[in-house]
Amino acid sequence: MGAAILGNVKLTVGWLYPDLMNIYGDRGNILTLLKRAEWHGLEPNLVELGRGPAPSEMDDVDIFFFGGGQDREQALIYDDLREFKQEPLQRAVEQNGAQVLAVCGGYQLLGHYYQTADGQKFDGIGMIDVTTQAGKKRFIGDVVVRTEIDTLTPTSLVGFENHSGRTFLGSQAMPLGKLMVGHGNNGSDGTEGAVQGNITGTYLHGSLLPKNPHLADYLIGRALKRRGGGALSHLDDSAELAAHGWILQRAQRR
Amino acid sequence: MIRKTAAVLAGKATGTLSRITRRGGGTTLPGDVARVIDPKILTLLTQDLTHGSIVITGTNGKTTTARLVSWLLEGAGHKVVANRAGANLIFGATAAALNKAGPDGRLRADWGVFEIDEASLPRAIDEIQPRATVVLNLFRDQLDRYGELESIARKIEQALATLPEVARPVLNADDPRVAEIGLSLPRPPLWYGLDDPSVASKTLPHAADARTCPRCGASLIFDAVYVGHDGVYRCPNNDFARPEPELKATDIKLDGFDSLALTIKGTRIEMPLGGLYNCYNVLAAYATACSLGLEPGYIAERLRTFKAAFGRQERVEFRGRHLVLVLSKNPAGFNETVRTAVDLAGGKNFIIGLNDRKADGTDVSWIWDVDFEQLKGRADLVIPAGVRAYDLAVRLKYAGVKAEEPQTDPGKALDLLIKNTNEGDLAYLLCTYTAMLDLRGELVRRGWAQPYWET
Ligand SMILES: [Zn+2]
Repeated sequence: MGAAILGNVKLTVGWLYPDLMNIYGDRGNILTLLKRAEWHGLEPNLVELGRGPAPSEMDDVDIFFFGGGQDREQALIYDDLREFKQEPLQRAVEQNGAQVLAVCGGYQLLGHYYQTADGQKFDGIGMIDVTTQAGKKRFIGDVVVRTEIDTLTPTSLVGFENHSGRTFLGSQAMPLGKLMVGHGNNGSDGTEGAVQGNITGTYLHGSLLPKNPHLADYLIGRALKRRGGGALSHLDDSAELAAHGWILQRAQRR
Repeated sequence: MIRKTAAVLAGKATGTLSRITRRGGGTTLPGDVARVIDPKILTLLTQDLTHGSIVITGTNGKTTTARLVSWLLEGAGHKVVANRAGANLIFGATAAALNKAGPDGRLRADWGVFEIDEASLPRAIDEIQPRATVVLNLFRDQLDRYGELESIARKIEQALATLPEVARPVLNADDPRVAEIGLSLPRPPLWYGLDDPSVASKTLPHAADARTCPRCGASLIFDAVYVGHDGVYRCPNNDFARPEPELKATDIKLDGFDSLALTIKGTRIEMPLGGLYNCYNVLAAYATACSLGLEPGYIAERLRTFKAAFGRQERVEFRGRHLVLVLSKNPAGFNETVRTAVDLAGGKNFIIGLNDRKADGTDVSWIWDVDFEQLKGRADLVIPAGVRAYDLAVRLKYAGVKAEEPQTDPGKALDLLIKNTNEGDLAYLLCTYTAMLDLRGELVRRGWAQPYWET
């Protein structure tokens, strides 16, 4: 498909806790990054970052993915994240320029804290300036966002949300986009997701990247910059954009 | 008592009305109406049963297992009340009981066999007080509707713990979530499980979602994987393992969607139902029937002539083409039906149908956990269909599967399938619940299939 303009350039995707933080079809995001890298003529490589000491390959990761899990799974990774992954993750992002995509539970854990309904606070690792508190009603349904990332075409992002957390952005974080349809971060300020430096957090799944190939390529492109890579080849995204457009159309009808 | 009779009559009138207006199967409206008039109606009606009730739950296999249990009881001369496939909420069970109640408000039957969805099980146990409760499996399913698996498992455990000693639960030992529930009960349940390494795989599929030890949180070690996360597992720290099944299925033989054979404690079962996942359903029904006192020899004999329920391996013939309809509604289920179709039946032509209505689950992200990669290079024709056909097309593209243009119109999907399927060949329709209803509705319109309320 894509021309191998970059030739023999590796793209390494690091999946944080693939066996535990994998709810809501998170695998779709991983498959999309790997397949598109291949179609762009890159050499895709997946590093699975399970519980325990971080493997040395963690330093090679270009794009980290951090998905959501159920309560039990989330509790199981909570200490491990702090003990083994936080430091190499911070190093990779701040010094190596690696990208991070975090969805739902992963998004919350990268923030300052998560506060439960009874006021108990669970500290996140504070890599993005957001805080989350439990909400009563679960937000479930289609979401359409007009993104704030100015290089993206189309400017819309589509997905599905299913969360009860209410996330609020601090001054360091920019929203990923403005809501056209759905509840987004907190159901009150019209924002969805957060972008801070190399980190993108969001509640969108569905999965997110398969129906938003432009966001997938944006992440791949930014990750490659640190390798001195040029522009990505142009892929045939008609299937992906048809699925994207189908959600847009349905959202408009409602 | 007057209140019960009034509730029954009101419910029955609603039932007649909804049949006349052809709302079709799975309607729970009579149950809704009767429960408003008398909230205890289900308890009162099931108390009329001469023998009692059996409640069956689990993410996958409820309908088939309930059918199997009813089939066995009916063959032994019992009159059975059962709810329809899809009407597995408490209202559906109530509607079924109402339907068989006489004008005096009495339910005249021997047994109630109710399939109940996982989230409704605690309430069903409380209201029905079943003689046997079967928990088949707990897989990830329809996250938007049920919330999280964890809290459901805990509620099921609490409900089972309230049952009297005679109502021994029948539980799948091979499912770590179900085992966790059963091991916490005050009295040991009747465990069943598969025991045949020749049909097991060694690795967990991507859809597996119960991988950790409930005691210490370590990742479980699987010595055998049968379906989804169901298999033979143990914790590396030795504090949790698959309970030893009292009833085991051995010497399993599978022939596509056509038949299966297995041996349980020396009794050979051979029957016209296919797929490894159905071995679990057959074993669960066998265990239940045994616990109710039916003889193994009778069970084996009766199962030979079993017919599958609507949309569960139903066959439709059209001008020499054989269409096989198989409901596939979540990752664990889909992986098994795709595996059975491709590996065991050598299937080449497919419609994959995905809807996102309430009964299907409105969140379709789970399709990314299905290993559609199994179709790559092996299927000749794959048609993405249903309301979310476009999402399926993307999924198939990233699985490396060559697929046709997405078809949101069921008629067009069928036309494309027939056009590209030779006479005498088989084609498989693997669909979520309402996607199956849509396709089947089209088959009925064309006169290829009977309306389901007549089957
Ligand atoms: Zn353990």
